[in-house]
Amino acid sequence: MQFWSLMKRDVLVAWRKKSNLYQPLVFQLLIVTMFPLGLGAGAQTLSKIAPAVVWILALLSTLITLENIFKDDYEDGSLDVYVLSGMSLSLAALSKATAHWITTGIPVVLFAPVIGMLLHLPGHAYGILMLSLLLATPIFSLLGTVGSALIMNIKNGGMLLSVLVMPLLAPVLIFGAGAVLETTLGNTAMNHLLLLLGCTVLSVTLAPLAAAAAVRINLE
Amino acid sequence: MNRIIKFYHECGSPPSFYRITGHWLRPMFWLALTLSIYGLIDGLFLAPEDYQQGDSYRIIFVHVPAAWMSLFIYAIIGIAGIMTFVWRMKVAEAVMMASVPIGALFTAVTLLTGMLWGKPMWGTYWDWDARMTSELILLFLYIGVFGIYAAYDEDPRKAARLASLVAIIGLVNLPIIRYSVEWWTSIHQGSSISLMEGSTGIRDWDMLRPLLVMALATKFYFIYSMLSRARIYLLRTEKQKQWVQKAVLGAQPSGGAS
Repeated sequence: MQFWSLMKRDVLVAWRKKSNLYQPLVFQLLIVTMFPLGLGAGAQTLSKIAPAVVWILALLSTLITLENIFKDDYEDGSLDVYVLSGMSLSLAALSKATAHWITTGIPVVLFAPVIGMLLHLPGHAYGILMLSLLLATPIFSLLGTVGSALIMNIKNGGMLLSVLVMPLLAPVLIFGAGAVLETTLGNTAMNHLLLLLGCTVLSVTLAPLAAAAAVRINLE
Repeated sequence: MNRIIKFYHECGSPPSFYRITGHWLRPMFWLALTLSIYGLIDGLFLAPEDYQQGDSYRIIFVHVPAAWMSLFIYAIIGIAGIMTFVWRMKVAEAVMMASVPIGALFTAVTLLTGMLWGKPMWGTYWDWDARMTSELILLFLYIGVFGIYAAYDEDPRKAARLASLVAIIGLVNLPIIRYSVEWWTSIHQGSSISLMEGSTGIRDWDMLRPLLVMALATKFYFIYSMLSRARIYLLRTEKQKQWVQKAVLGAQPSGGAS
């Protein structure tokens, strides 16, 4: 019950402040414009780097939204209220990650084909692109929740957050971008997708525990 | 058996840890120095040339021990991190935070010597092959542990607990990172040491000996450096305690002068 109400609240807060929703997408659009300008507009060059660029943009645009997952709640005191209410902190972390995924992850997944199209991603790769991002965006949100819980007490913790989260996301990028790349080359993407799914399951299980531990240390 | 348990419990308390390790510093330092001088002379001058790589292979006498240490120290940090996180042991905290800069240093040495070796052998300083990449990511993990500790400068105990959490998360992820990165096609040569028949590794005792000596020397250096740092860490975090004042002021012959 608490899980749903907390999630609904977070989604509502994000919805009321619309910039949260479109900030990652505008970021992606801005950066993707740089690629043809820097590389030359040749369709062949662009379609070769498209799988990697779409994926890295999805990752970076999520990264810039992570800092505030816990920060606002920590600063205005609502985090103390969660703790006092006796709610399981792991559950609270899972719920915050879910809310973040709904407000950031899903838009990124839906927007990915647009970025792919701008970079001439080959037509048969779009399904795998969206599927791989669908599996990976929950990992971004979950690990982001951990990172955000670690740095919520720090001013300007954004850089530190990237340093903490980036190494953990390296495997996700390898499997995810690898899946799309294999598809564009005409190979099966199944191996990569299954490994990605493994990472998703692992982070759903472990990340809320780690985030809860970080919150507990920060609040004591 | 009882003596071992007693020793273990003694090491858990900062004053006894400080007292006991005080006797170890000097022997560890001299062991490390002697072994590395011997190992370097043996490795750089006495060991035979490699039939394929000539003299440039000799960098492995620094590179490989440093690479071993970079992973070994991360394991130490992970274990000390678990002890910090679960039992809140001050000594484990000190060991963990003392190990981080040393481990980062060994990782950097591994990367640098690898690059210097890569230029004559591969014709390039850097190549995104599996081991170099995972070593670089390992360096980021070290920086992460240190970064979170440095960011919480007003409360070192809290900082250490957060750092221990980061270290544990890194420990869980290290195998995943390593294997995922391994998936790229690699131009790095296989392991240098292998006891299996027919592998392409070092089988010449004259080459193996300096390598093992250097591996020991780096271990002793680590123990020496880590203990010195951990002792200072304990003095700093416990500075209002009586034993610290006794240990520091008692060591000065003229007492109040300074």
